[in-house]
Amino acid sequence: MPGSPQFTRRSFLAATGVAALGTALGGCGSSGTAPAAAVAPVSQADIDKAMATPTELTFWTWVPDIDQEVALFQRKYPAIKVTVVNAGRGTPAYTKLRTALQAGTGAPDVSQIEFQYIPTFTITDSLLDLRPYGAEALRDKFIDWTWGQVSGQGGEVWAIPQDTGPLGLLYRQDIFDRHGLKPPATWDEFADAARKLHAADPQVFLTNLAGNQAAAWHGLMWQTGAKPYTVSGASDISIKVNDEASKKLAKFWGGLAQEGVIGTEADFTDGWYAALNNGKYATWITAAWGPVFLAGAAKSTAGLWRAAPLPQWNAAKPASGNWGGSTTAVVKTTRNPIAAAIFAQFLNSDPESAKLFATKQFFFPATKALVADPGFVGDTPAFFGGQQVNKVFADVGSTVDPTFGWPPFLDQVVTDWTETVGKSLTAKTDAVAALDQWQSRITTFAQGQGFTVR
Amino acid sequence: MSTLSSTKDRRGSAGLLFATPFLVLFVVLFLAPLAYAAYLSLFQTKLVGGTKFVGLDNYARAVADPLLLQGVLRVATFFVVQVPVMLLLALLFALALDSGLMRLARVVRLGIFVPYAVPSVVATLMWGYLYGPDYGPFAQLSRAVDLPVPRFLSEGWMLGSLANVVTWEFVGYNMIILYAALRTIPGDLYEAAAMDGAGAWRIAWSIKLPALRPALLLTLMFSVIGSFQLFNEPKLLQAIAPDVIDSAYTANLYAYSLTFIGQQPNYAAAVSFLLGLVIVIVSYVVLLTANRRRTP
Amino acid sequence: MRRSTPLTIVMLAALAYFLLPLFWLVVASTKSTEDLFTTFGLWFSDAPQFLTNVGSTLTYDDGVFVRWLRNTVIYAVVSASGAALLAAAAGYGFAKFRFRGQAIMSSAVLGAIMVPATALAIPTYLLFAQVGLVNTPWAIILPSLVSPFGFYLMRVYAQDAVPDSLLEAARLDGAGEVRIFFQIGLRLLAPGLVTVVLFTLVATWNNYFLPLIMLNDPNLYPVTVGLAAWSAQAAGGGSGGNSDILALLLTGSTLSVLPLMAAFLLLQRYWQSGLAAGSVKQ
Repeated sequence: MPGSPQFTRRSFLAATGVAALGTALGGCGSSGTAPAAAVAPVSQADIDKAMATPTELTFWTWVPDIDQEVALFQRKYPAIKVTVVNAGRGTPAYTKLRTALQAGTGAPDVSQIEFQYIPTFTITDSLLDLRPYGAEALRDKFIDWTWGQVSGQGGEVWAIPQDTGPLGLLYRQDIFDRHGLKPPATWDEFADAARKLHAADPQVFLTNLAGNQAAAWHGLMWQTGAKPYTVSGASDISIKVNDEASKKLAKFWGGLAQEGVIGTEADFTDGWYAALNNGKYATWITAAWGPVFLAGAAKSTAGLWRAAPLPQWNAAKPASGNWGGSTTAVVKTTRNPIAAAIFAQFLNSDPESAKLFATKQFFFPATKALVADPGFVGDTPAFFGGQQVNKVFADVGSTVDPTFGWPPFLDQVVTDWTETVGKSLTAKTDAVAALDQWQSRITTFAQGQGFTVR
Repeated sequence: MSTLSSTKDRRGSAGLLFATPFLVLFVVLFLAPLAYAAYLSLFQTKLVGGTKFVGLDNYARAVADPLLLQGVLRVATFFVVQVPVMLLLALLFALALDSGLMRLARVVRLGIFVPYAVPSVVATLMWGYLYGPDYGPFAQLSRAVDLPVPRFLSEGWMLGSLANVVTWEFVGYNMIILYAALRTIPGDLYEAAAMDGAGAWRIAWSIKLPALRPALLLTLMFSVIGSFQLFNEPKLLQAIAPDVIDSAYTANLYAYSLTFIGQQPNYAAAVSFLLGLVIVIVSYVVLLTANRRRTP
Repeated sequence: MRRSTPLTIVMLAALAYFLLPLFWLVVASTKSTEDLFTTFGLWFSDAPQFLTNVGSTLTYDDGVFVRWLRNTVIYAVVSASGAALLAAAAGYGFAKFRFRGQAIMSSAVLGAIMVPATALAIPTYLLFAQVGLVNTPWAIILPSLVSPFGFYLMRVYAQDAVPDSLLEAARLDGAGEVRIFFQIGLRLLAPGLVTVVLFTLVATWNNYFLPLIMLNDPNLYPVTVGLAAWSAQAAGGGSGGNSDILALLLTGSTLSVLPLMAAFLLLQRYWQSGLAAGSVKQ
């Protein structure tokens, strides 16, 4: 019904909710209570005033012990009181945030958001553009691709990067030694090693590509140079999850799965944890947060693991992708945009705070300064036999393409991936054909949601 | 005459008075959201383009939606297979406990009932481990004796595996309802039957079973609702068997996915109402069949 | 009467089936994260550490688990007793009095449970948000106060447990209806009441979806949502993931099940007789 007056989703729901209850709050306006975000910068005087005015901010985050970083902020701005709420992580947390936004009440001022979810929340106009609050001045502090991830198509800065997960390869030195393997430099070598290893020991697989882990698949797509989702304008989207690069990827992994030389079981499950401990898999293709996680999840294998960059499609032009990591975003409905924006920026760009994330939470940093910090990259954890694991991933991080983008309806894309491509890996069916199904399901969904699909 | 009817009226209003707190909360907390959901089901909200009134379009779409049909058929299969097994087991256990023929009856009764007190989140966590194809104990046992490993989480087995979890959770609950009903049968009935020379089986068949009919009907009705609304168990097993349990595996799971993954709460509301209608019809048919069998 | 050994053996085998998963849970909660994945699941490891696990579960994150347990107890007890009382009054009113619209109201209550709760989650949230109930204990307690099953049970139960003659006698003595209900009705309804209390207790105790949507503040979580949050934290696949929490998750699951079992054991005399009467008539 183009041309007819349209409610925004939020005011519509709010208004109908009010009507249903029969209270007298009806017709609460078109775009809610959010102050209009002008592109014109907020003056330093206004910022100083806001930061000296007693203000309360609510911050939803799943990061353990983040109080320590928040305390640094409050030491600098004692007028601002930040209430940290652990509202959970993953899909439940986003569901909660979205529901609160729909209701028009109960949403936080500031929220932890993973990179891949930013477009899902900007399409509903739920995040605040941080440019007026001086965010652009921070651009040079952050690793290029992380800034690319938080930037909108109109140059908006939707969030400030906090931690990252460039992809690398963790491998079992002992299993590699036993079978005379080296960390493969290319995916061809990787495939050969997979066949060789499984033939030599049918109980062992070179790796596991989880059929439920769309995020890892996207990281691998990223590495191949795929550009699956491009949003332009308000309603145009191009979806190309089955382009040549992705087909190459599907053919490679689908082939290995069909040969039965890799595992495809769901990750982060009992069986998978046990497999990591029992040496069923000789490698784990994982992100920069993987080493710390593994050290906790597979204690019985301490000292046996090493890290290496991902195998390459083109050894002369090394590339990687990202899996995980997160940002701090300001929710547009906040009544205190200045304080919220300054908080989001301070938390991640203040050198002391950023460093604390790396040393207390063991986050893999998003700032250029920290990935070059000898104290950080020089760390030699015993779990990895004293190898400088952070150095490996810091180097990998510089090969991540900054232009990869995410779809504005990530949950649906992820579910559709699991039910097409992920399923084909597990069921050992044609993964390239599954890629086409994935493409057509996303396309149908996007059209149903009113997008023009190119 | 007139005084009698007016006391009756007064008493009738006293009855309403007692029911009022419940009914008011019921209207506010059940019917209002339900009405609101019904209202929402007449709209369509798009990520691009906002909200518009679409009348019954969502219902028309849902009736023809193969995913919904598939989900309903799957829970119908589940109902047809799981419910008889569960109720039969509950009945046999109740009869065994009531027969007075076994030792340790108290311990057994409570042990069978205990799973009812376990949250389905925890129940599915436990069974998920036991089902594990690599490190689950059944898999390890089969491997140790060179038998084929049972694939509890494979496509062919999944419905059975879910049925097992649900049966595990609710046999005890149904058993207790039936057992409790058995305990109310007057003892002199048994004595009379025993004098006539009836054995335990005969007593069970001709005295106990007929007396259990209302209780069985009650358990059956709750099982209809439970089966057709199957959600928690498949949702939780999805994490370990994502290749088998898709987002439309059961009708209720489909409604959930539409709301929280597909961001189509309006359509999801229509789907939920259709599912509710299916449940009403199935319940009605079940009641009708049960009652018709009683009459002749 | 002669006891049958074969029957006892068959029933003990059945019992083993019902207790097996719980046995696994108990065994698992004695293990370290490392032992969880390296030792056979159905037997104890060489270094059982149940008390250590309990200790870390109870103290993790400033004892948040204890708060969750306490919340669950509060939500469950308040909801269960409130729901039982409301259901008893309504059931009594429906069973012992005739008034207009009774049949329709009765079928509306029973019909409402046939629409899946997922359909209600979002509308309820939106309505609650408008009156500021979201992220408060009331968001959990209020919806749990309406128990259609409890209403049904109490209506059936009241029919027989409260003899009309007794009510008539009281009325002849000049007692008001409200007084009759509280002094005579409620006492006679007690077993049914306990039954509804226990079954609503289970429903609220195990409630997951509603509090997940309604509550943001972890200090308000019931134990189911809290455990799910721990589980999500362990299985992140992202930053801030913490696999050490897996052991706590299992110990926490064990601890969360125990109070409910205890309640059922302690009160079994009441709820069994309550169910008995409720289930033979309709």
